[in-house]
Amino acid sequence: MRVLLVEDDAHTAAFIAKGLREDGHAVDHAADGKQGLFLASTEPFDAVVLDRMLPGLDGLTLLRTLRGAGNATPILLLTALGDTDHRVEGLRAGADDYLVKPFAYAELSARLDGIVRRNRREDGRESTRLHAGDLELDLLSREARRDGRRIELQPREFRLLQYLLRHAGQVVTRTMLLEAVWDYHFDPQTNVIDVHISRLRQKIDHGFAKPLLHTVRGAGYRLGE
Amino acid sequence: MSRALPSTSTRLALLVMGFFLASFVLIGAGVYVAVSTLLLHDARELARADAIALVDTYRDGGRTALLAELQQRIHGDEGDPDAVYALADAEGRALLGRLPDMRAPGPRGRWVEFVELAAEGAQAQRVIAFERRLPGGETLLVGQRLQSQDRLLALMQQAALLALLIAATLGALVGWLTSRWVARRLRSLDATAARVGAGELGLRVPLDRSGDAFDRVAQRFNAMLDRIEDLLGGVRHATDHIAHDLRTPLTRLRNRLEDLRQQPSGDAARHELERALADTDQLLQAFAALLRLARIEAQATDADAPELDLCALIDDAAELYAPVAAECGIRIAVATNEASVRGDRDQLFQLVVNLLDNALKHAPPGSEVELALDIAPDGVRLQVADHGPGIPEAERERVFDRFQRLEAHRGTPGIGLGLSLVRAIVRHHGGRIQLLDNAPGLRVQVMLPSP
Repeated sequence: MRVLLVEDDAHTAAFIAKGLREDGHAVDHAADGKQGLFLASTEPFDAVVLDRMLPGLDGLTLLRTLRGAGNATPILLLTALGDTDHRVEGLRAGADDYLVKPFAYAELSARLDGIVRRNRREDGRESTRLHAGDLELDLLSREARRDGRRIELQPREFRLLQYLLRHAGQVVTRTMLLEAVWDYHFDPQTNVIDVHISRLRQKIDHGFAKPLLHTVRGAGYRLGE
Repeated sequence: MSRALPSTSTRLALLVMGFFLASFVLIGAGVYVAVSTLLLHDARELARADAIALVDTYRDGGRTALLAELQQRIHGDEGDPDAVYALADAEGRALLGRLPDMRAPGPRGRWVEFVELAAEGAQAQRVIAFERRLPGGETLLVGQRLQSQDRLLALMQQAALLALLIAATLGALVGWLTSRWVARRLRSLDATAARVGAGELGLRVPLDRSGDAFDRVAQRFNAMLDRIEDLLGGVRHATDHIAHDLRTPLTRLRNRLEDLRQQPSGDAARHELERALADTDQLLQAFAALLRLARIEAQATDADAPELDLCALIDDAAELYAPVAAECGIRIAVATNEASVRGDRDQLFQLVVNLLDNALKHAPPGSEVELALDIAPDGVRLQVADHGPGIPEAERERVFDRFQRLEAHRGTPGIGLGLSLVRAIVRHHGGRIQLLDNAPGLRVQVMLPSP
């Protein structure tokens, strides 16, 4: 897809652009807010990666201007300030997701895919059945089946699986899971998420030849073939 | 402090009033003594002059002339109504009036003071009198009734008492007003100091531009606060910069290691890279935690934070940790009552999670970790208890310090910021935290103010 990167720090910009290109995306780079706003409002992009602190026109102003003009392009906001207040402020201004600098590229990549996916889904009708391979989740009857066999899930496991299926084929990070499934933004002391994942894995992969729930080292998890 | 303020100024007011009254009494007593001495002296002078005149009459005309003169004075209109006369012959028989029963006076005379027996219905009166022997052997007494002096002195006493009462009332009133004024001036300073201490660094003492001592103190105080705010701002700025400047190269390092790990290489190299990655992650986590800690410590307490259900939050934390606990064979026992507090949902969750994490780290397999929430008289009480080794009393305060890890726990994973973060969050929410003995184990008690 085509991504606009608005970032004044040359080093960070090069690092992100390199990663995005390796993932097969086309990247346009703007080094300040004015240029970023100009590009974002004149060219079609699938997603915008926007730094909050920019010379000239700051990221939040740019964000509000775009949203005010009815531009609904998914936007991922980058910031060096890891305060929850700033996070809420960024989301209120119209960002789809938020990432604190510095970050591992895997986290940015996962979140960017997440917001683009969410955005595309909102265009169409919400599906009540989610699939990945021979695993399916019925959101109406709240049932999970694999190869026709029913899988008993706890409410939280259901939410976890639902989120993974919505992002099937994409890497989701531990923090993404904590925010989306547990709805808290905090710093887990130990890898509590891993234990939940391994329990889920027991239920959906145990006894099947092909595992569906994969651990992506140094990044997170991916559900898919 | 605020409770001690009124008492301090009251003490001051009472002290001032006490000194004031004491000096008033002292001056009053002095004036009283001086006036009464003066009046007595006047009465004596009168009596003495009278006596001299009468002795002259005696010398000129003898006893007969004296008696006639005395009669004239007692019964005449010209006489002094307050004068008292008496005359007795050499054998002590009264010729006129009555002498007090005493030894006969010498020729040089002497002063006597007695109380005159009064007629029916009248008051007994003090008399000061001069007695002397006349050349013929008679004793002459010339005195002055002190009734007008006594009346004046009584009036003075009454006036003084009344003045004292009025002065005491006025003094108390002035003292009370002064103490109230001082207390009010100090209270605004005190209240501001308290709120600034709680984290509202932007607050300043209102000045009245009067330029008095209080106003000057308030100005100094404000200048001090400005300075503190500048310094704190500098520290925060520096922290942000350090975090930003150091975390960025660290992340770069991490990404490089990640890239390297993707390259085909030997198992040994891959293993080393994974360990290096884990170390980098821990460093990054420490930076993130330090930054968060600095932020929370610098945040002012938010009095209008949203109210949230602490009970649900604790259930969420227990649910999140249940699998981890199950892996260690530990049961999490949750005993909660409905309770809500005002605050930051994510921060409070972090608090509960950190305490739970600590408890699970130190609890022996097969034991129970208790999460309890109830409403105490002084707020909402959250308790996390384990049956682990506990913390010796001497070390309990230390565990809150940054990077402080007890010798016994050196082997466990963690960076030693968990409890510092917990304490910062508790303080930010206006609460208190205590480490208690669970016999055996540790019981952490957090008190949060009720909404």
